Amino acid sequence: MATLELDSITKTFQDGDEEIVAVDDVSLSIDDGEFLVVVGPSGCGKSTTLRMVAGLETITAGTLSIDNRVVNDVKSQDRDIAMVFQSYALYPHMSVRQNMSFGLEESTDLPDDEINQMVSETGEMLGISNLLDRKPSDLSGGQQQRVALGRAIVRDPEVFLMDEPLSNLDAKLRAEMRTELQRLQNDLGVTTVYVTHDQTEAMTMGDRIAILDGGELQQIATPLECYHEPANRFVASFLGEPSMNFFDVTLEGDRLVGDAFEYPIDEGVRADLGDATDLVLGIRPEAVELVDEDGDHEFETTVDVVEPMGDENTVYLHFDPDADPETAATLVATIDGFNRVSEGDTVTARIPEDAIHLFDRNTGEALHNRSMENAADQINL
Amino acid sequence: MSDGEIRTDGGTTSTTARLRRNLDQLTVEDVGLYVVLAFAAAFYLVPIESGLVTSFKTGIAIVETAPFAPPGPSGLTLEKWQTAIDALLRGMGNSLLYAVPATVISAFVGSITAYGLTIPTWKKSYKAVVLMLIIAGIFIPYQAVLVPLTQFWSQWAQLDQVLSFVWALGIDNDYVGIIELVITHVAYGIPICTLLFRTYYKTMSEEMIESARLDGATLRRVYRRIVLPLSGPMFAVVLIYQFTQIWNDLLFTLVIVSTESSPAAPVVLILAGLGSSLEGQDFALRMAGAFFAALPTLAVYIFFGEEFAEGVAA
Repeated sequence: MATLELDSITKTFQDGDEEIVAVDDVSLSIDDGEFLVVVGPSGCGKSTTLRMVAGLETITAGTLSIDNRVVNDVKSQDRDIAMVFQSYALYPHMSVRQNMSFGLEESTDLPDDEINQMVSETGEMLGISNLLDRKPSDLSGGQQQRVALGRAIVRDPEVFLMDEPLSNLDAKLRAEMRTELQRLQNDLGVTTVYVTHDQTEAMTMGDRIAILDGGELQQIATPLECYHEPANRFVASFLGEPSMNFFDVTLEGDRLVGDAFEYPIDEGVRADLGDATDLVLGIRPEAVELVDEDGDHEFETTVDVVEPMGDENTVYLHFDPDADPETAATLVATIDGFNRVSEGDTVTARIPEDAIHLFDRNTGEALHNRSMENAADQINL
Repeated sequence: MSDGEIRTDGGTTSTTARLRRNLDQLTVEDVGLYVVLAFAAAFYLVPIESGLVTSFKTGIAIVETAPFAPPGPSGLTLEKWQTAIDALLRGMGNSLLYAVPATVISAFVGSITAYGLTIPTWKKSYKAVVLMLIIAGIFIPYQAVLVPLTQFWSQWAQLDQVLSFVWALGIDNDYVGIIELVITHVAYGIPICTLLFRTYYKTMSEEMIESARLDGATLRRVYRRIVLPLSGPMFAVVLIYQFTQIWNDLLFTLVIVSTESSPAAPVVLILAGLGSSLEGQDFALRMAGAFFAALPTLAVYIFFGEEFAEGVAA
């Protein structure tokens, strides 16, 4: 069990004469026993960051410490880290038992019978006791995944690293393993860094999530903070499915003027904006309401497409009924599944002022986020 | 199609019925294809068949019958095989004495070299230079090194003197040639072995190796416990290839051992002179000798055949 500290970690690759910055000045501090999820689109540097922690990539600049010990130049095998790979990376010529004992045999001086017992116990914990004598090629994907997990757990390392460990599983198994992994991590209390591109995994699994884009750390916070108080437009758009609605608007007095609508804002919101006038208005689909009344924050819209999801419907709304649906500003709203609307209907959509986000159009930085009290009401905290 | 359905259900149709239907469906193209295939098979098999039947013929039968025709009862003899085995047996022993160690050592060294050039992370530009030098070794023809090779063993590395204590034990000092052959063949075999193993290791899962490193294994242990056990199929390929190459090589044996009368003479050296005399060529004896000398390479193919196929596919 240990703390993990990344201080201004940078990684550059040399490609011919060009220097490619894969990870740019990332600082993270992970508490003992914490589950941190690192998330971002492909190529954002999340795997490279993890590989640097593992010692599989050299660190160009910055310091990496495990339990306050700088390990920049410590070899992988001496870092006391266990890693679960996306491909599982099992040793194909060894039985499950041998796969799981390998790490203990190589990194400790434990006698064989003790190793055997630890492997058996871990196997039991993961429900793979009956597979211990099989070869990896005789196992299903889910079973291999468990073995890979068991191989990491049995070593009882200081830090767990997981590189998209669930992405090769089918949807149902993935959901199951997600819960199980969380439970295991909770029971074992081992500091864990989990890399994924899947925002559902990020939202549901981690104590905190770190969002990376273009090698730079965008935000590190609890999942709900990242969701409701994104640091910038990238975070806001990356988390949430369907993704947040964005409209380019300009501040004129106390009104936000966009191509399709004008939106009045009150003093409090106005004060957050400072001198910025070129803005982006953001609103989450589930915050949009369909109502029967008129007002400043209510807009008449035409339903373009309805996607029924069962418990809820995703509706695509246009402000201008005559606009070309390909190019017109679209407002996506998530509404109750029993709320029957159909294509071509005219409905009134409310964009509640306490749920809007405002971003600086040039820097992408969040200037105003929705109020958390209200958000807390909505998610019944 | 009902026809196809019946055919897939083997239980309801007899073999003869199926055969008849297959014959009915035979087209001109099919017939042409089989004729060509039969011709090609015959074309490739006739030399071997001729050699084999010739080795059982008496001198008179060879003159009187066509090369590929079997000998009549009066022309049949096992005498030539007897003579060939008597003459070659000691050569076989000598050949095994250098072919087996040279094959095993070159395969093993090639595997380790390839491992060093693939798995560990060191500068790509250095790797490329080392690899280039090794690969260049493949393209040096045997003939080009004959003179330097002789000079090396006769002037620079006089093993004969270094090993004088061995000869004192009563072993003929001609056997120094065997040791020289082992070293020469290992040196000559390393490039191709390295190349073959490198190709194989390139396809190994990087994550698996990384996983082993994270599990606490050193580079040496990763080789010993992960890479080496997984190299089986490629070892089969390299062992077969190297063994055949070394067993059949005449040039180096001519230069290093030189005389067939030497007690250390390899089988190829004896075979070269077998059946030639002032009276002319004894074809039957030469054929019997050739077949007998080829038996070990054949055995190696059969022995490692399954792994060989797997290795070639990889």
